[in-house]
Amino acid sequence: MNPRAIEIGLALAAAAFLIAVPWLVPLLADDFWVSVMTEILIWSLFAASVNLLFGYVGLLSFGQALYFGFGMYGVALGIDRLGLPFWPSFGLGIAAAMAMALVSGIFAVRLSWHYFAIITVVFSLIFYFLAVSMKPLTGGDDGINFSLPPVFKLGGKVFSLTDPTFQYFFVLAVVAFCFFLMYRLINSPLGKSFLAIRDNHLRASLIGLNVYMLRLVAFVMAGFLAGVSGALFAFFGRYASATYMFYQVSGEAVVWTIVGGAGTMFGPLVGTALFIVIREIVSSHWEHHSLIVGLFAILSVIFAPKGIVGLWNGWMGRLGERETAEAATSPLTVQAEP
Amino acid sequence: MKDTILLLAMNGLIWGLIIALIALGLSVIFGLLDIINIAHGDFFMVGTVLAWFSLSATGDFWIGFIVAPVIGFFLGAVIQRLVIQPIHGSAALSIVATFGLSLILQEVVRMTFGATPRRILAPIQGTVPLFGVDYEIYRLFAAAVAVAALAGFFLFLQHTRLGIWMRAVRHDRETAIAMGIPAGRVYVMTFGIGFALAAFGGAVASPITTVDFRGGVDVLPFCFMAVIIGGLGNLPGTVAAAVLLAFLEGLIQSMASPTIARISSLVLMSVVLLLRPQGLFKGFVK
Repeated sequence: MNPRAIEIGLALAAAAFLIAVPWLVPLLADDFWVSVMTEILIWSLFAASVNLLFGYVGLLSFGQALYFGFGMYGVALGIDRLGLPFWPSFGLGIAAAMAMALVSGIFAVRLSWHYFAIITVVFSLIFYFLAVSMKPLTGGDDGINFSLPPVFKLGGKVFSLTDPTFQYFFVLAVVAFCFFLMYRLINSPLGKSFLAIRDNHLRASLIGLNVYMLRLVAFVMAGFLAGVSGALFAFFGRYASATYMFYQVSGEAVVWTIVGGAGTMFGPLVGTALFIVIREIVSSHWEHHSLIVGLFAILSVIFAPKGIVGLWNGWMGRLGERETAEAATSPLTVQAEP
Repeated sequence: MKDTILLLAMNGLIWGLIIALIALGLSVIFGLLDIINIAHGDFFMVGTVLAWFSLSATGDFWIGFIVAPVIGFFLGAVIQRLVIQPIHGSAALSIVATFGLSLILQEVVRMTFGATPRRILAPIQGTVPLFGVDYEIYRLFAAAVAVAALAGFFLFLQHTRLGIWMRAVRHDRETAIAMGIPAGRVYVMTFGIGFALAAFGGAVASPITTVDFRGGVDVLPFCFMAVIIGGLGNLPGTVAAAVLLAFLEGLIQSMASPTIARISSLVLMSVVLLLRPQGLFKGFVK
């Protein structure tokens, strides 16, 4: 069978499933899973921000939770303190995340590999502790709750995220749009120069690419993705809390990305979905679900070192004797730097 | 006021010595196996829990000083064989694998030890006057033990066969193997020793801190900072950085809140990373 046909069929089936979720899922399971699906979409966008940096530029960030947190707080403070409507507070969240990414990126992207990983953690820890200590502004670990303003009014009808079906489609639309942007980016000349830096930043600089500038651009773009996901998560949970800025949140996204397949478009989505679904299924039956999650993380890197999507690409490649560029140069094989 | 400064600076210094022990384990694992060990804080936590278990089983606190590093060593050796070896030194995969390990260790402790944090009463009670403040004897004792363990580890690296092998594999793996050094066994031993150092640090620290299944979460970033500020692979640098960081944090704590102190040491850390990414001590110690 033609691997191209299999993949197109799979993509169509996935798209059809995602659109049918609000009707299909309550039929098969119950309403609760619609909100789990919403959560998966939001977190997969967060994992995509790790993937953009690690999978396509070769920078392993352990501090993306900082920009997620800024997205959250931008929304929460915009609505709760400034009394802004829906869209301006959404914009405020994204702008805050991108501004923060720009400021920290100016320093962070000067460093590579381990040093980059550590400085991103350090930056996120600084603001985590600041957020915890500035309780009057941020609510600390307890966070701030707010009530949702309507998204828009059409005729006499008010559309608000309090309707779970509308919320799902709103999140799906935003996340799909961001993945589309990322797809366009990766296939643009800018995206190709990212790949050049990932594979060998010295060579990239020798052919005239401004490595520092390009890394900074990628860092701010990743800040955008993390900011959008943080803002969506604030709308989804109707609150913002400093706990989401802790380094463990960043670490989870790194794990989801690598397990799903770093350097592949949908790896982060697959990894995120898998971990959240396992968590939701096991945690309702067994209190110690972390054991399963931990075991799964270990087994997946042992048996699928290129991630699940990487494994899939390998199968498809063998099936059609077709070498995809993505499978051939996974970031996991090229990280040794001089 | 002067007393608080002294007290907190001393606390910081002693905490730094214990952290140095844990960070040393992290640095050895990183330097030799190229593993970014996210579970290292949990190795420390396992040490505190083992100390608690051996105290409640035998009624004797000191047995924990032996039980924690010995069990830690064997756990580390098994983990290396089962989890670390199959990923062939890929740093990115090691993050995922040790993240999974961290979850498993925390969950196993939560299942057996419970989720409630507990305290261990210091086995040596009482205080001594020191520079005009009454200082807890156990903390001074812990500092002495940590210093002895650090010195012991450096002697081990310099003078035992395994220590020399470890340095040889680190320096040049290919040549070491060609010279007949069993690199595979050295990796297993190194990971075991790394775990044992952290677990021993945990046993020593258990009466000072709380015994909690999440006790490693706070320790982990601190250890990474010590390793980086000290210079990757620079073991004496790691020790110096750990002591310096904790001492400074203690000092700042006496004038501001603990959070402010933590933030200032993180800011200091960023400055060091940006200005001297090769570590604070490059050129001073070899």
